[in-house]
Amino acid sequence: MSATALSGCAGEDGTDTEPTGTGGFSGTLQVATYSSFTGADTAGNWLKSVFEAAHPDVTVEFTTPENGLNQYILRQQNGAEIDADLYIGLNTAELVRADQELDGSLFETVENDLERADTVKSALQIDPDGRAIPYDTGYISLVYDGNEVENPETFDALTSPEYEGDLIVQNAQQSDPGRAFLLWTIAEKGPDGYLEYWNELVGNDVTILSDWEPAYGAYMNDEAPMVVSYSTDQVYYHGEDVDMQKHQVGFLNDQAYANPEAMALFADADAPELGRAFMDFVLSPAAQREIAVRNVQFPAVEGIDPGEEFSQYAYEPPEPVTFSYDELSGNVNGWIDDWAREIAN
Amino acid sequence: MQRPAADRLALPAGLVVTLAVLGVVFYYPVSRVLLAAIDPGGAAFAPIRAILADPFYTGIAHYAFADPLGVPEGIIAWVRNGIPLAAVEFGLFGFTAYQAALSALASVALGLPGAYVLARYEFPGRKTLRSVTIVPFVLPSILVAVGFQAMFGATGLVNEFLVAVGLGRIDVMFTLPIVILAHAFYNAPLVTRLVTAAWEGIDAQQIESARAMGASPLRAFRDVVAPQLIPAALTAGLLAFVFSFMSFPIVLALGGLELQTVEVWLYAKVQSLALEEAAALAVLETVITLGLMYLYLRYEATQVGIRGGGTSQSRRPLLAGTKTLGDPRRLAVFGYGLVAAIVFLGPVVSLILESITGPDGGFTLAYYEFLLAQQASAAVGTVKPLPAIQNSLLFAVGTLLLAVPMGVIVSIVATRDGRGGRLAEALLSAPIAVSGIVVGLGLLQTLVFGVDVLGHRLTVTGPVAVVAAHAVAAYPFVSRTVTPALAGLDDRLAEAARSLGASRVRALLTVTLPLIVAPLLAGAAFAFAISIGEFDSTVLLAEGGGSYTMPVALERYVGNRSLGPSLGPATAMGTVLLTVTAVSFVVIDRVGGRYDG
Repeated sequence: MSATALSGCAGEDGTDTEPTGTGGFSGTLQVATYSSFTGADTAGNWLKSVFEAAHPDVTVEFTTPENGLNQYILRQQNGAEIDADLYIGLNTAELVRADQELDGSLFETVENDLERADTVKSALQIDPDGRAIPYDTGYISLVYDGNEVENPETFDALTSPEYEGDLIVQNAQQSDPGRAFLLWTIAEKGPDGYLEYWNELVGNDVTILSDWEPAYGAYMNDEAPMVVSYSTDQVYYHGEDVDMQKHQVGFLNDQAYANPEAMALFADADAPELGRAFMDFVLSPAAQREIAVRNVQFPAVEGIDPGEEFSQYAYEPPEPVTFSYDELSGNVNGWIDDWAREIAN
Repeated sequence: MQRPAADRLALPAGLVVTLAVLGVVFYYPVSRVLLAAIDPGGAAFAPIRAILADPFYTGIAHYAFADPLGVPEGIIAWVRNGIPLAAVEFGLFGFTAYQAALSALASVALGLPGAYVLARYEFPGRKTLRSVTIVPFVLPSILVAVGFQAMFGATGLVNEFLVAVGLGRIDVMFTLPIVILAHAFYNAPLVTRLVTAAWEGIDAQQIESARAMGASPLRAFRDVVAPQLIPAALTAGLLAFVFSFMSFPIVLALGGLELQTVEVWLYAKVQSLALEEAAALAVLETVITLGLMYLYLRYEATQVGIRGGGTSQSRRPLLAGTKTLGDPRRLAVFGYGLVAAIVFLGPVVSLILESITGPDGGFTLAYYEFLLAQQASAAVGTVKPLPAIQNSLLFAVGTLLLAVPMGVIVSIVATRDGRGGRLAEALLSAPIAVSGIVVGLGLLQTLVFGVDVLGHRLTVTGPVAVVAAHAVAAYPFVSRTVTPALAGLDDRLAEAARSLGASRVRALLTVTLPLIVAPLLAGAAFAFAISIGEFDSTVLLAEGGGSYTMPVALERYVGNRSLGPSLGPATAMGTVLLTVTAVSFVVIDRVGGRYDG
């Protein structure tokens, strides 16, 4: 009996991307992404089928590593092969981490090679080096039960007796919305003041759960009347048999924290040309509309209308806030660490 | 008499295979990660020392590492100040050990009476109940959180009942008690199963001899029964401590960040790729859990009495007509039954009910229709339930077939030579004493990324690697259940068989193993359960996403938004997981039970 199954070091078959006679592409595009981006009726599968229809000799394949971008940072560090061309679903803090951990860049600068890179809203740009290109964004906000509480409207209200024990948030160490909410408080209270604000929140009996699912589940089970979530909540919950009061979106200080999702081309992609073509396709108006609706996120490109159904129930804050790459670089780990230590003490 | 070489070599060969499997899928990958803390490139052990000297992690103990010479002076100053207890902080490690100790106590308290009932009373469905006891063991934490929420939450069943009978609500969610209860939910079944197995292995004749010599029932219990139960109960308590010590998702899903453990912090460090600090935390965790295990094993080696097999005690009927209600012992059993129903059955039944309850509270089959739709879908990236069930069962059977012989071999080694054997067993039990997060990271950095061997980059992934990884995680359960039973066996039985000409292997198979069928079956069931519930190494080693299992499918359905942000599809898959494992446990016990006595 042998405990080992060997597989060689042979490269992927058919990844060569010789343009065919008509200037089209052929070969396989390997796209690394998160698991809910692919599957029936997802944005990923729509992109794949439409792109493949336009380029009959191209196959788009998805791979969904459990540990996300860390998989590729570690591969690079360990000298292992990067078996993907494109990464979809990158956020600012992850890009900062990749650059901090690696000597050379994991990704290629593409901004000037894409036809549509300049159509992306400038407020959403996350990479000063033009590698990561945003394709959609979510806004982190409160979702509250209008039957139980009024819209708190400000950060300061959350620490008042009126809202004692009323808020559920997520752990910034392991949850995207949790980290976004923490960063939002830092944007609001400053790096010197946010820990004090959180002490007041904890004093007001805030509940900090692992991730979005348990937090939202606890909210739906009436454990507390407010939860940190997305401003697109009502896209899922509307209609005659839904209590819309339970799905009120609350912005704080007229703000919400923007969490853009970006895509980037790996520096040693086997199919860079094909990758860039796919990125341009993702930024096309048709793709932007589909991604918004299927991913339930706002388009990243200027002037896209995802349709009535979406626009009626998804709210954009009067003032989106987000930290830039430079602001997060060198800071984000320390901010989160200090915060978690403060809470655990 | 000249013994054939095959017989002489069977055990050493088995040991070599066991060590090879352990080396490839455990020791090598794990040491790769832990070395970062021991030899980080700068000062040796620097990351570990940094953690020891940090009051956040070690509380008041940090003085011993940060300023050892100042400790006596500090103590004197503290005594002079009137011994203020509030100044004594225990840090993250202290809190983690504290909640683990409480969890272990709760597990033993809730599990022992169960063993008593299963071992000493006869009632319809007893065998099936014994088989399905360890079902909670395989439930993914996100579903346990759902079940507990539905049972103990603000609008949960318990509160609805309390309000209906005019009592006040209880508010236990996101507190330490609910985390401890959840740990007991996972670990009390371990106590019940291990102690039941030990109890069923007690020779009734020994008790009868004691009674015949004039011992009271209580005295007979104290002198004959208790010494054989205590090792099993302590083993289970120790395992409950180790698991609760390294518990991670359930703490944050039910407790919140204020109750975080070392493992939560370790996970955060791995996520932010602070790998030296993560490794240092893992080394300290492992030193504590392995050290505890070694101390316990040395104690156990001094405790085991001799027994000869024979038939187990006959059971009392649980229901004795009208007498039942007048018998305090039987009433206590029913009282325990009620508690067990609330703690164990409650969350499981709540989970099943959630899988057929829509967002508006009405009955729905939408989540099961979702599973059927996934099965029928041709879309790329769809995770289908049927292959998940098949893969889970295939891996679990493979794990059982590999882990049981591995566990038995390690038990034989452990019981052979005194103290050295116990040290060997402690070291070989490392797979349950090392953080699962670290094992996963190690597997990723070695077997998945590839290892340079003679100029070739070798990767080790796919179904065989998954089974090997599962077996390594599972076999300590086999050896932990089998070792005490094996140590208690009278060597003369096997020796008699060999003097009659039986080979060593034949004596093992025909004389020794049949005498320890109950513990062997318990170990086998645990091996199966570990494999079914395993997530971390499965996703890493299952190549290309084709060989996903039930917990992996479940996790994908959690993120699936096609029915909106709902855990409904996950609860439906969870119900499937529960059903498949419950049936499997019954089958394992029925098939294995045929060899009993």
